[in-house]
Amino acid sequence: MDNRDYIVDVDHLWIRFNLASQKVDNLKEYAIKMLKHELMFQEFFALQDVSLKVKKGEAWGLIGTNGSGKSTLLKAISGILKPYRGTITKHGSIAPLIELGAGFDGNLTARENIFLNGMVLGHSRKFMEEHFEEIVEFANIRKFLDSPIKNFSSGMKARLGFSVATVVNPDILVVDEVLEVGDYNFRRRCNERMRQMLAGGTTLLFVSHNIQTVKGLCDHAIWLDKGVVRMSGESGPVCDAYLEEQEATAHANKEKKRKKMREEGKQYDYLVVGAGLFGAVFAHEMAQAGKRCLVIDKRDHIGGNVYTENVDGIQVHRYGAHIFHTSDKEVWDYVNKLTEFNNYINSPVAVYKDELYNLPFNMNTFSQLWGLRRPQEVKEKIASQIAGLNITEPKNLEEQALSLVGPDVYEKLIRGYTQKQWGRDCRELPAFIIKRLPLRFTYDNNYFNDRYQGIPIGGYTQMVEKLLEDVDVMTDTDFFEFRKSHAGQFRKVVYTGMIDEYFDYRFGHLQYRTVRFDTERIEEENYQGNAVVNYTEREVPYTRVIEHKHFAPEEERKNPKAYTIISREYSQEWGPGSEPYYPVNDEKNGALYEKYLELAEKEQGVIFGGRLGAYRYYDMDKVIRAALDASQKELG
Amino acid sequence: MNLLKYRVRTFFRYKDLIKALVSRDLKLKYRRSFLGYVWSVLNPLMIMIVLTLVFSSLFQKSIENFPVYLFTGRILYDFLKASTTNALKSVTANAPLLKKVYMPKYIFTVSKVTSCMVDMVLSMAALVIVMIFTGAPFYPEFLLCPIVIVQVYLFCCGLGFFLAQLHVFFRDIEYIYSAVLTAWLYLTPIMYPLDVLPDYLQAIVKYANPLYYYVAQFRDLIYYGRFPGVRVFVGGWLIALVMLAFGIWSFQRSKDRFILYI
Repeated sequence: MDNRDYIVDVDHLWIRFNLASQKVDNLKEYAIKMLKHELMFQEFFALQDVSLKVKKGEAWGLIGTNGSGKSTLLKAISGILKPYRGTITKHGSIAPLIELGAGFDGNLTARENIFLNGMVLGHSRKFMEEHFEEIVEFANIRKFLDSPIKNFSSGMKARLGFSVATVVNPDILVVDEVLEVGDYNFRRRCNERMRQMLAGGTTLLFVSHNIQTVKGLCDHAIWLDKGVVRMSGESGPVCDAYLEEQEATAHANKEKKRKKMREEGKQYDYLVVGAGLFGAVFAHEMAQAGKRCLVIDKRDHIGGNVYTENVDGIQVHRYGAHIFHTSDKEVWDYVNKLTEFNNYINSPVAVYKDELYNLPFNMNTFSQLWGLRRPQEVKEKIASQIAGLNITEPKNLEEQALSLVGPDVYEKLIRGYTQKQWGRDCRELPAFIIKRLPLRFTYDNNYFNDRYQGIPIGGYTQMVEKLLEDVDVMTDTDFFEFRKSHAGQFRKVVYTGMIDEYFDYRFGHLQYRTVRFDTERIEEENYQGNAVVNYTEREVPYTRVIEHKHFAPEEERKNPKAYTIISREYSQEWGPGSEPYYPVNDEKNGALYEKYLELAEKEQGVIFGGRLGAYRYYDMDKVIRAALDASQKELG
Repeated sequence: MNLLKYRVRTFFRYKDLIKALVSRDLKLKYRRSFLGYVWSVLNPLMIMIVLTLVFSSLFQKSIENFPVYLFTGRILYDFLKASTTNALKSVTANAPLLKKVYMPKYIFTVSKVTSCMVDMVLSMAALVIVMIFTGAPFYPEFLLCPIVIVQVYLFCCGLGFFLAQLHVFFRDIEYIYSAVLTAWLYLTPIMYPLDVLPDYLQAIVKYANPLYYYVAQFRDLIYYGRFPGVRVFVGGWLIALVMLAFGIWSFQRSKDRFILYI
């Protein structure tokens, strides 16, 4: 048989889907559709006449834009989808890595999941027992073997999934852009493992958006476009052709925008860099005063870090929880004129092992800790705990915290959390990080002391949209490129990006503390019962879990949902290129900022503002106040 | 013939997975509860006490040792109910997995029915406890009750296959079926003796209600201590095998289209 030469032989394959809009899954619809003769008439071919012949030991990359049919082809080869027309012939075993950790059960421990997942892939228990150590070793999760997998980060799950899937040397390894979630180190190890397997004679089918990886790993490539094969053959030429077209399309899009701008020949008074709160408020004020502003932003959306995104009807705070609170009546009135606020009050809770405490530290917390009820008793308790320690001059953060609140509060609520936040032991952290720890001797769980508090109904994005109503906005636009081609089209620049980047890091990088969010949809109506839950023990890898729907109880009352969206928040070490969140206000960075500030003051025609431009931590109300002040100053 | 061999081979290849899924179901059912597996015994026991208190005065005269009478019927009904309702959702609930990895889809249905069966076997202990407490005699025929359990198991697998595939295309079946289950409970002589029903209804129940065949056999073995009558015995096997064949047929027929609907 000549087609034995091919380990996978896809011959003129057609795959048919019924369009999602035509999905009929209840009797009533079925009856109606049947009567109207509409049943199954809306069809759609995800793959059309696709042929692919793969020889043993080859590595094929599947490339194409979203929705081009790459995953469909892989699913057809794996046997999940059946051909509508055409045939698929395979010789040998297939290990699918279509989604790492598919088949993990969140409630089971990692150990149990390894076995379950292995068996889902068709291995026997005996086989899994023999290779158990190997899997744990590669996934590097020994410490968490017996914790439920629902507590794992997506990277950890991916690691575990990859090591289970690749434990056996399959004849055909199918990988569907799953490795993008892991960190750099993990990706490197995965690629290494795949190379090893390739060298051992495994055939690879690989989907990725990262063309460089495809080029590096695969010797052949097939380019799909809307279900049709555009090109197939050696990976080099195919990838190049694909990239070329991608760039051409992207370029054409940008060019279109720019051309429109040029054609209109607009002259702007202000070019505002960054569509966050500072930029938006500033541009709004200027537009009100009759000035012309153009707001550009690097990201593909407006709003900066306050951006909220509608995911299945839930406003997701993509860059972390944002709760508006202020004592500045003017600012409060200002935002309320833009949009309606709800009456959300932030009252986070902290979880320590099996115990639950109210935050901030108040009488509820203390009564949960010690069972004491009267403020006087609590004060005495804390005083006696502190007195027993004999700390006169705190040498590090641990001693500082102990001398302020005593060992009980410190152990359960401060220690682990602070360690996770800074990635270092509390004894290695300087004392000055905590200057004071406010203790509240009333039964009041409101986290903030401000007069006004709330969250815009419908999310922050629509509030920023309102601000930018009469302003021209271009997203996906990088300032440093933009100014090259549009010099002279604006009188003044308002720069809300990173101040050190503006000056090309000439004195070095300013540091930021950054956080990473791992967002997940859960098919459960209510996951944790509160918008913010802090995890204060060191063993839980994330610092907080945010459940977005609780920021908008009014919406949930109106449209109750059977699912929810949560974000686990991880503190991360900062490195150039990571998303900057909080400026690190220590002496070193402060001094560095001073140097940049000097440059900034000399820079003609540029106003620096916002959290990154001013390198300081701003609450939202403070940003708005600063933007209002800046615009006042400009208008004189 | 080759196809059959292939099917049997795949089944054996995945038998560990079925085992693992069954043990997952059992583990998760009682994880974090204080008494754990004891609940498998305690729960039916408690329900039984309630039912006995409520119904025994109703049928006091006609039924001797009401608790055992009730239990022998109830235990099979509970198994039927739990296994088929779980089986019904077995394909749709595992949609994310089925969309990503190729595996025989019936695995999930079989494992759900199996885990319910294990649960039922555990609750047989409760039956023994009730028998001891009420001073009911133990007959050697008791040991034959696995024969009945196998019949019910096959029947539930068949029905489960049928429901699982139907649920993929019509989600409504979930609600319809729960109504059917309620009707089924009242149309089976579980809490009452058969002869309280009017004659025509008795005939229908005796001939057309599959569950009757199993309850009757079960009671013969445990409650009356005699070998089941030929009609219910042969009929029970026949019904189980026909249901199984029908379930497998309906499942096979539509399984390739699942992926488009889940």
